Order: sequence, then structure tokens, then C-alpha cells
Amino acid sequence: MPIHFFLALLTFSMLSPAAVQASLKLPETVKVDPAALTAEPMCDPKISPAWREAQEIEGVKIAASPGCSPDNPAWIAAAVKGTNHISMDTLMKTGLSPDAIIKTDDLDGDGDPDRIIIKLEIMELNGKSPDFPGLVPTFDIAPGVQPGAWVFAPKTSGMSTENFESVRANPLLRLPSPVIRVEVGDIVQIVLENTHYFPHSIHLHGVDHPFTHGNHAGQDGVPQTSEVELMPGGRRVYEFQARQPGTMFYHCHVQTHTHLAMGLAGMIVIEENRPNNWLQTLNIGAGHVRHSSVAVRENFDQEYDLHYHAMDKELSDITQKYNDPRLIARDMNQRYDITDSTEDYYTLNGLSYPYTLRESLIIVEPDQKIKLRLLNSGGESIAVHTHGHHATITHYDGVEHNPVAQIMRDVFDMAPAQRLDLKLETVNDGKHSYGEGDWLFHDHREKGITTNGMAEGGSMSSIVYKSYLNGSGLPKVSHFGIDLNKYFTKEYYERRLPVWQDLDEWSSLGSPGEQTGLSAQTQTSLLNGAIGLLIGLVIYLIFAKREQIIQRTIAAVSRLKGAKGSNQK
Amino acid sequence: MMKTTTITFLLAGILAVSANAVAQDKATAHEHDHSGHSMNPAQTDNEKQQTEDHGDHDHSGHDHSDHDISAEQHADHSAHATSSQSAEHGDGHHHHHMDHDHIMDHEGTMIMGQNLDKLPSSCKSISEEVEITVRAGRKYAAKFPGTAFAFDQQQWNVKPCSKVTWHFVNEDNIRHQFMMHGLPKYLYKYGMFHLEVTGPKTVTGTIIVPGSDDTFLVHCDISHHMEKGMKAQLVVGKGAENIPSIPGVTPYNINDKYEAENLPKVSDKAEQSAMVRQITAFTNNNFQNYGMMLIGALIGLLCLPLFNKLPFRKKKTG
Repeated sequence: MPIHFFLALLTFSMLSPAAVQASLKLPETVKVDPAALTAEPMCDPKISPAWREAQEIEGVKIAASPGCSPDNPAWIAAAVKGTNHISMDTLMKTGLSPDAIIKTDDLDGDGDPDRIIIKLEIMELNGKSPDFPGLVPTFDIAPGVQPGAWVFAPKTSGMSTENFESVRANPLLRLPSPVIRVEVGDIVQIVLENTHYFPHSIHLHGVDHPFTHGNHAGQDGVPQTSEVELMPGGRRVYEFQARQPGTMFYHCHVQTHTHLAMGLAGMIVIEENRPNNWLQTLNIGAGHVRHSSVAVRENFDQEYDLHYHAMDKELSDITQKYNDPRLIARDMNQRYDITDSTEDYYTLNGLSYPYTLRESLIIVEPDQKIKLRLLNSGGESIAVHTHGHHATITHYDGVEHNPVAQIMRDVFDMAPAQRLDLKLETVNDGKHSYGEGDWLFHDHREKGITTNGMAEGGSMSSIVYKSYLNGSGLPKVSHFGIDLNKYFTKEYYERRLPVWQDLDEWSSLGSPGEQTGLSAQTQTSLLNGAIGLLIGLVIYLIFAKREQIIQRTIAAVSRLKGAKGSNQK
Repeated sequence: MMKTTTITFLLAGILAVSANAVAQDKATAHEHDHSGHSMNPAQTDNEKQQTEDHGDHDHSGHDHSDHDISAEQHADHSAHATSSQSAEHGDGHHHHHMDHDHIMDHEGTMIMGQNLDKLPSSCKSISEEVEITVRAGRKYAAKFPGTAFAFDQQQWNVKPCSKVTWHFVNEDNIRHQFMMHGLPKYLYKYGMFHLEVTGPKTVTGTIIVPGSDDTFLVHCDISHHMEKGMKAQLVVGKGAENIPSIPGVTPYNINDKYEAENLPKVSDKAEQSAMVRQITAFTNNNFQNYGMMLIGALIGLLCLPLFNKLPFRKKKTG
């Protein structure tokens, strides 16, 4: 019997100090230790800084590209000369197949080749493996963000990964599908070699191409009008000789509602015909054009290809859920409902912030004219805003706008599949430019600056003046006390890093720790419970010792009676 | 083993002829490639593999006189084909990369890590010389549901220390690879032996396998070709541990989940039509019902006399 009482007392004694403590203080802030983060270098160390410099390879002049991850200059040399006109040494530096870009025959005698053969393969990125739980070959659009995707890739040679030990994709296999550049009048053959496990096609949106080719080969890419789907293992040639220049679009037209969003979409530019116009036939990864066409060089100091895209996680997850192509086909074709879909990943040139800082900065100097070619291959309209600048829209969908009626804007709305050519002038007059700086440019639908809903992400990047560029080719922001390192961790995009924890020394907006002690509510209920327990114990004791109690009561009563009796006696 | 060797030799002999034939069959008028020629198919003299003679090019691949598809080949094309060829051949020499470790032609046909004469340290001599023909293509995936590409065989067995010449016949119109991993690194760079060719075409390469029992991974490393079926193993002697997820040989490490689908069936259609009949054949049905009622009444009438007798009996017994 004394044990029960002891327990009850103990409960009370434990509850009372906790109650006092909790009512005085809220949980402490828990600051994430930077050492606990998977920190990536802001600038990819695998890319040689020597690639940034202006250089000449195989007689091809390659402009400087001071950003942190410029294109491999060997790619540019191969794209300009053709893989059939470069040395083995240069070819080996590209990873391209020797027949990836074949340029021959100066038909009009103007000093440049007029027969262009471009071979494209179709590659899966971040797909499921039946051998291990990871994805292969991996391509991160942002730190740790690996959506399942498909791309048209220039025909490569060798492995699809960096090497046998790595699961990271060969640098040629990446989002977006490469930008293709050919000249008006070129006899172009795009040879699609379907290395993927699904049927595909190519539709040349906006490019002057005949509906059929030869006697019966349809080539509009549409399985309902012009041709059957190109099966895995098959090859198809799309041939055209464009009569009009412009910024155009190519994409797969098989199950377009899924295949386009998966990444089978790229920009194709038809350049004006000029003598000695050796074009950079492929701009792998889009972005800065380091060997512009003669016509662009006549009017502009620089040129950038800006490909905006959007992907739905629900769709891109399918290739990570199954390995069996039949199950992937079932989920994509019969179960996925695009009318219920939401876009989750917004990319610029295949990447989301902060990786856009590595590759898709528009790096300018004062008083330059810059040609921007924009494509929106996402499923919704976008509204690109250029901080600090108004640019002029010169072309809509590849067609020049009446020069007298051309307008300047700072928000550029683009419907799906739309292309805009912009003239950005870095003239500090308060209209064209407000002066030097690191000026953001971003999709002003606010979800466009998120990655799966997590800001800062999405397709945002910057127009950076060279005076605002640091030694590694990234925007100089540290003198404002800005630290961008947190964006270069996968934990940030896993939503595990409190965004504002480092804004002040004591992390006033960091993560609150777990409740130590007990909340007032819990205390009350525990107190009630303890009282209940006590009452219970008392009742139990009364019940258990009822014989004793009765006897004692009787004894007591009789004693009383006895006492009375004795008194009476 | 001797028997199989002779058979493979015979097969290889046939191949020398058929590989070209296959290649020609598959070449369409649209292709500018020289799909007609193969890279020394089934050449028994290995030394000759390294000396690609362009004079030998079999250009009959472009001669589609017996194909109806040749109708598509307009003048533009044939001119193009020849010109692009001559242009490539004009400066083509640099596209025949010739360190003994890495041979590549102007179409990306590749032999890497070939070993014609270096004996592995575990071998005193070459035990036997074999030639194996490996076919690659989408059609070989047909017998393995849920795959997209495959080799014609998923396992090859050779004796330790044997010199194996591989004739890799790509029957698709895309790139495929025959890539072997895990070979001794002192003989094979990265431990790899690698054949690569855009089909339809054949490439040939030789290795000498080590003297101990072992099993080597063979696959195509183009994105998701291995994952989707193009995977096999070379078993030397008694072999070592099996390699997972080889179609028809070893199970997948990670399996997909399959469930019954609500697919349309012929029997669904029968049920549907039965329902339709019930609605449209309303009178017919009624007639049936009334008929049954009539029969019931008749039986009832016939039974009446029996029914009448029952009370009597009851009375009697009572």
C-alpha cells in the first residue's frame, strides 16, 4: 500500500518543475551546421577556365565567354567546320561521333558548305535502373534535382556516362535539346536515329519544309497526318531547304502532350544567307553563341539563345518508377492526365537557378547591342521580365516585325511554342538600361522562379555587366553581404534548410527546435490524469481492503458501542 | 568444344557473305552513309583488320536496282551521297585513329582495347582460337517481354586463355555497342574491350581471355540500352558469379510491380450485346414469361385430382 502512494507523489513531483520551465521559455533555435550540407562549388570545377578565353581552333574564331561554365571550344569548332573537317585530336575532345555533323558542297560558290547533315539520337536522362536503386545517366537541373527527361542529343561516340564508374551523363547528353543553326538555301538533312525505347519523330515548327520528301516520305513529324512513328532502332531523314530566316522550333510530335514536356524540344535558327557564312550548326546547351552568323555579326555585338521550358514532376517521375517500357507507356499514354497536371520545374537552357548562373548569364558591357532569341517550349505562357532594361521586340515567331512598329517592353509574354527575337541595348539612358549592375531577368509568373515550389529556383538568371563579374565568372555579390552558397546544396531544394537562418547572428528566423519540457495543454491533461490515477488508487484500495475496512468499521462502531455500553454500565 | 568452334567458324564464313547482304537489304535510299560496306566482317586474318582499305568499299549498297524503294532516290540524293563520300574520303585519313588501343573510322565504327597477341600472365599459351558472331538489334528483344533492345545470345562460354574474335553485327539503323568490362587492366585500358558500330554493319575485334574462371559483363552503354535488355555475359571456364538482370538468364535486382489491367475483352462485348437484346427483345421476353405461366397453370390443373384425394386419405387415417 505505501508503494502506490509513493508513485503518485513521484508523478506530482516530476510534473511541477516541468510546468514552471515550459511556461517561461519557447524552444531554442537550431541552426543547421554548414558542414552538414552537401556543398557544391559554385562554379563546376570539371570545366576548364581556359575554355572562357577567346580562341581559334581549326581556324574557327571562338569568342570569349567569361561565364563560369562556357561551352567546350572543341564543340564549337566541330559545329562550325563539321565533324568531317576537323582533326582527330579535336574530334576526340568533343565526344561527338565522326558523322555527327557532315558539311560538304559549296553549291552556290559563296565560300561556305551548303549540304549539311546533322545526326541526332534520343537519350534518356535520370531514368530507372533494374540493377541499383539510383538513376542513370544523371543530369541535375539544380543541386540534387534530377527529373526524368528525354533529349535529342548530337550523335555521340562511346559511353552515355562520364566513365564506367560514374553515373553522371556524358556532357553531350543534357537538357535542352541542342540549338540547330543552318542558313537559308542550305540543303539540310536532320537524320534522326532513334536510340530510345519509344517511338518518336521530329516536327520542324516554323521551318520552311516540304510536307513530303521524295515520293511518299512524309516529313511533318505528325503520326496522324504525314508519317508513322519512328520505332526504336530506326532511322529517318528530314530534309529541307529553307527559304526564310528566323528563330524556329523543333520537337517530337509523337504523343506530343508528354514527349515535348519530357524534353524533346529544341530551338532551330535559320540564318540569313551570306558569303563565307560558316555557322555554329549546334549550340549544345544553348546560351551564348560564340560563333555567330555573318548577318548577326553585322548588327550585334553578342548573341544568346534562351530556351525556356517547363516539366511536370508527375510526368517525369514515370520513367523513374518503372523500367519496363510497357509500364512507362501505359502510365504516360493512358494514365497521365495533362488536364490535371501542374508544371513543377522551370528551366532556362535546361537548368534551373542557381545553375543558370553558371551557364545562362547574359554578360554585357555598356553600349552593346545584344541579340536574344527566346523560345518558350513549356505548356503555359510565360512573362519574362528584364530588370533594369527595356528591350525591343524585333521578330515574332521568326518573322520580322515592321521596323516602324517595333516596341520596347520590359515584360515579354510568350505563348507556348512562341519565339521572340529581342534587341537588348545596354545604353545607359534610363530607358534601354538604368546602368551597370547584376540585373535579374526572370519569368514574372512567380512560380517560374521556383523549383518544385521552392524559391529561389526556376528559370531566373541575370544580365550582368562585366564590372559585376567575379574571377570565376559568377555575379559579384559578396560585397553586398550576399552569400549564394546555400543554393548550391541539395538540402536547400529538399526543403530542409531554413531559408533565412543566416540573416542575423542569432538566427532569429531559423528553425525552432523541438519542445523541451511540456506544453501547458499537456501539463493540464497529465495533471488531470494524475488526479484520476490517485482517485482510482483510492477506490481500488477501498475495494481491495473492503473486508478490513468493514471489520475495522464494525470494530470501531462496536468499540464505540462498547464504550457507550461501558458508559451505560 | 571443338565442334562448336568449327560451327562458329562456319557461321563466320557464311557471315562474311551475309553481313554485307543484310547491310544492303537494310540500306534505304535516304541514307547518305555507306551502309553497304562493313568493317572487315569475319576476316580470319586479324592483322588485316587494322588496314582499312577504302578502295574496297562495297558501293553496291547504293545500287537499289532491285528495290522498289529506289524510286525515292532522286538525282539530288545520289549526287549528294557520292559527293559527301568523296569529301570525307578526301581528308578522311585523320578519322582512322590508329593507336593500337583505339581504332575509329569516319562513321564512328570503333574498336577499343583489342588484344591480338598479349598473353595474360595466367596463361602459358593460347588454349584455342574461337570466332563468335554477336547480333544486336531490336528484333532480338521480341522474345523477352518488357525489353527494347537485345543481343541474339545472352551468354557465351569460352575456355580460359582462349583467343576470341568477335564479329559484332548491328542489325538496327542506330548505334549499338558490345562493351566488355572487368578485364585485366594491365592488358586492357580501363579493363574494357569495346566494339561500336552504327548499323546495319559489322565490326570485328579480338581479345585473349584470362586463364582463370571468370564472368564478364557485356552490354551496350547507350542510355538505357542495357537497362532495357541489351546485356549479356561472357563465361570463361566455369565462370564466376552471375551478372544480374540479363534477360532470360538472371533476375532483375529491382523488379517492377505488375497488376491486372482493365483491358477490353471479347467476352465484355458478348455481355454488352446480351444486355441490348434484353431491352430490344421486350415482347419476346414477355412471351416467354407468359408461356411459362401457361405451362405452370396446366401442370396445376393436371395436379388438381391428386390434390383432391389428399383430404380423403387424411380422413381415413384420422
